[in-house]
This record gives sequence, structure tokens and C-alpha cells, in this order.
Amino acid sequence: MAHRRSVSKSTVVEGEQQQQEDDDPVEGDMAEMDGDDGTRRQIRHQYRELMQNIQNNREDMLSSRSNKLTETLEEANKLFAGVSRAREAALDAQFLVLASNLGKEKANQLHADMTVFDPTSFAEDLLSFMGINRLENAGSDSEDEGYATGFLPGDAWKKVGMEADTYFRRAPTFHYMLGSFKTDPPVVRQKIERQRKNKEEEKRAMPAQLKKMNESHQEATEKEVERILGFLQTYQNQDPDSPISFFDFVIDPQSFSRTVENIFHVSFIIRDGFARIKLDDDKLPVIEPVATDSHEQVDKDNQPRYQGVISLSHEDWKEIVRTFEITEPLIPPP
Amino acid sequence: MTQPRRRRAGQSRETSVLQGEDADMDNDSFIQTQTPTQVQKNLAKHSSDQVSLKVGEVVQYLLVKDQKKLPIKRADIVRNVLKEFKDIYSEVLLRAKKLLKEVFGYELVEIDVKNHTYILVNSLEHKHEDNLRVDEGTAKLGLLTIILSLIFMKGNIAKEVTVWEMLRRLRIEPGDKHPEFGDVKKLVTDEFVKQKYLEYIKIPNTEPVEYEFRWGPRAFKETSKMKILEFVSKIQHKDPKSWTSQYREAQERLPAASQASGH
Repeated sequence: MAHRRSVSKSTVVEGEQQQQEDDDPVEGDMAEMDGDDGTRRQIRHQYRELMQNIQNNREDMLSSRSNKLTETLEEANKLFAGVSRAREAALDAQFLVLASNLGKEKANQLHADMTVFDPTSFAEDLLSFMGINRLENAGSDSEDEGYATGFLPGDAWKKVGMEADTYFRRAPTFHYMLGSFKTDPPVVRQKIERQRKNKEEEKRAMPAQLKKMNESHQEATEKEVERILGFLQTYQNQDPDSPISFFDFVIDPQSFSRTVENIFHVSFIIRDGFARIKLDDDKLPVIEPVATDSHEQVDKDNQPRYQGVISLSHEDWKEIVRTFEITEPLIPPP
Repeated sequence: MTQPRRRRAGQSRETSVLQGEDADMDNDSFIQTQTPTQVQKNLAKHSSDQVSLKVGEVVQYLLVKDQKKLPIKRADIVRNVLKEFKDIYSEVLLRAKKLLKEVFGYELVEIDVKNHTYILVNSLEHKHEDNLRVDEGTAKLGLLTIILSLIFMKGNIAKEVTVWEMLRRLRIEPGDKHPEFGDVKKLVTDEFVKQKYLEYIKIPNTEPVEYEFRWGPRAFKETSKMKILEFVSKIQHKDPKSWTSQYREAQERLPAASQASGH
């Protein structure tokens, strides 16, 4: 303590000198200041190192068996001899704050160290009080260093608790004879259950809905394709000799989008080999169904595949409707 | 006889209307600003049967709330029990306090003057032979007492690591499920803390963060440093006076206790 006081006293003295210097700017000789700069930097560096050292070795500093804290303080004291400016003095003060915090903590520990209280022996005595059966595992090596081995009876903690109870003025709590009283309002629990139920329902409903949508979507396409094929075959049977104009077949004069859909669905019929598209004598596309028996003979995989891209703009559609004088759709909307 | 009483009741109704508005704005300050004369006036507008019924309800509420040993907030008493009787809050609580004392031997203690929280403490001396109270709380009390002992004997502060080291020697691992205590870490750092038996404080400037334990206000009310010293002495078969500094500290019981409840 005395040591530290001397340090802080010298801080005060130096501080005063510092002030005097600052008050008298004439004394600030440029050359001298430049010469100081190197040593000042050095001092600052050393202070920072000391502080770093303190922080990195906290436990070591705190240990009652080590003199590290005193040594560090002495070192700082030596450093302080070279301090002449406020900047270094501030670092010294900063160091002192750290050191005194550590000193305080160390003093607190000392207080505990001085008394004979030893947690380890307290724990040992507690185990004895709990009625530990040390013979049980007497043969086994103490694997967990220093920790007592042995068997604790089931009522060990109750025993401590009953003993402890006599040192407390604890208000005994009462209990209802018909089971314990739940202080949590049951309303909350109901709410939670209801929420959970809702969640489950949602979970259940969602995938079901999705499935349905997927199915119906796929089915719709399939059904539509079959339906259109049906129309194609009917028209063909009505007049087997004249081929059906592709445009007449797919164009819906009332709806451009229906027209596009029709072309889309007809492409499946073509792909699956149920119908063919070819050009007639006027170089106009016609569509004709492939007879079912000849279809069976065709080896699907060996058939060459032709792909065609038909572009049809809204203008084209209008023009075709006008040119071919289509008034009724051959494929009625479903 | 009926005439003057009715007039008084009418008067108090007027004032209570005004206060009712106050209460909606700020329940707490309203209770604080209740003057004894106002309470007397307000008292007149409730029948004495109603008032004693409320007192009984408050007593029951306190007893039920105390089962979990959590501090009871004044605001909760007002909101859950008193309701329209809050204009005579102080009188009802006073009577409830008297009832608890006379019928149950309990003391209603305010442990937090700022936030107005209360606990119940047994005011009767403990008789050694009565062991009616063995329940699941008994074992927990044993654990708590050991921690309180460690804190006091170590100079009123114990680092968390020290506490766990101690408990490890007693076969308790903070991470494990204990057959008696379940999640011990939660019990010690949460339940005991919420019950105000312990304070669990972050140590400043620690990296990684470390915590230390101190006694909580309930510990000071339900037991004392001297009692805990007696416990330690009994376990260690020593005279309490052999721990010189702790004994000296425990003797200054009153100032120490008031100081502790102050922070």
C-alpha cells in the first residue's frame, strides 16, 4: 500500500512540474523536444507492454503465492522516473487503475484465505453428513483427481435440506389435499392446444390441396388431348376421303388463346403418333388420324421424330380466320 | 342512523370518481398517494363484510403465490384480487398482514421498496423436531444452503466457477440432469435467482463473461449470516467462533442485513 501511495504522490508532483512547463512555452526548446521524442515513445511502449502483461496474466497476478503484482508496480515506478509529459503520465495513471483493481481483488481473496474456510473440506464434511458410503467404491482408483468416491444414499439431499430448514425462517407452503394446485391458468393451455390443432389441420390440408391441383392439371391436359383426338377421328369418319385442314381444325375464330391451346394439345396427338400432319396439293397443312391398326405396327422408338415450331401471332390468327373464312370452331370449348 | 351514513357514502363516491380517473392513468402512483384520510373515506363505501372478504382473498392469494417462493408484486395483488377495492389497498394489505401474522405466524415482508414486491417469512422459531415439511423443496433448500454458505464463507461473493467446483464435489454437474434437481444450472442461476435467494451478477470486463453469486434479499430475510455460520459449523464440527472474521461479520447482523437489502 505504502508503495502505491508513493507512486501516486510522485504522479502529483510530476503533474505539477508538467503544468509549470506548459505554463511557460518559452522553455520548450525545439531541439530538446526532438531528442525526447524517441525516449518518450519508448516509455509509452513499455507502459503498454506492462498493461498488456497485467491483463494477460490476471490469474497469476491474483495468486497469493506470487509477487508478480508488486514486481510489475516496481517496474512501472522505474519507468515513471523517465516521464516528463502528460501523455506518459496519463498512461501511468491508466496502469495504476488496472493495478489497483487487481490489488483490490487480491485483497478480497486474502480475506477469504486468512480464514480457515476450505471449500474442499466443507464438501467432504457435507458428503459425510449426507451419509456417503465410502466403502462401496473403495477399491477403484480415484479417476477424477481428489474427488471423493463413494455411494450417496437416495435421501442424501433431503437430509441436508431438513437440516438446512432449521436455519431458515421459511414460510411453509400449503398444498391441496386433492392434488397440487396449478397456478398457471388453464385458459392458456387450451389456447396452445387449439393453436396446435389448427396448425395440424393446415398441415394436413395443404399437401392434399396441392396434390389435387397437380393431378387435375395433368389429367386436364390428358383429357383434353383425348377429347380433341375424338373430334379428329369423328370428322375423319364423317368424311374419310378429304383431309381436314389443320387450320380449320385448330383455329377457334372466337378466341386466340383457345387456338393456341388447341395447337398445344394437338402437338401431343402428333407426338404420340395418333395423327399426322402433311401438306396437301396447295401446300397447306392438313391433319389426319393414323388408323389404329396401322398404328400398332409402327414401332414407336424406330420412328424418326420431326419437330416443327409453329409461330402464330395474334395478327396471323386474325388473317387465317379471314382467309379461311372460319366461323365456327371445330373443337368446341370444353 | 341511516341518514348520516348515506350522506357520507355519497361524499366518498364523489371523491372516488375523481380518483378512479387517476387510477386509470397511473395505478401505482395512485396507490402511493393514498392518504390515511382518503382510505378511511373510501373504506366507508364498501361494506365491512365485503372488506373482510377481500382481506381473506388477499391472504389466500399470498399463500398460493408463495408456493413457488417467487416474490409477489403489489401490482399483481391489485390487479388479480383487489380490483375495484384498490382504493383501499393500504388498509386491506394492513389487515391481511395482521391476519397472516396472527393466524399463520407469517410475516409479510417488502423486499423491494422500489418495485413493491413482497415475500412471506415464517415469524415463528423453528422447532427441531417438526419435520412435517419434507417435500421436493427440502432437497433444493439443502443445495441452496450450501451455496449460501460458500458465498458467505468466501467473503460474501463467490465466483460461478467456485460454486460449480464445490457442487461437483457433491456429485452435481451443471450440464447433467440430476435425479433430484433436474437441470441444476437452471435451478441455481434461474430459479434461486428469481426467488431472490441468490443474485447472479456478471463480472465486468471479463472475456469470456464470468458471473459471481451473492446473497439475494430473500436469503437475508429467511436466514442470517449467523445462522449460516452455525450450519457450516455444525457440518464441519467446529465452533462458530473459530471462523473469526465471519463470526465478527455475522454479529453485525442488523446493519449488514439492511445494507444488503438496500442494493
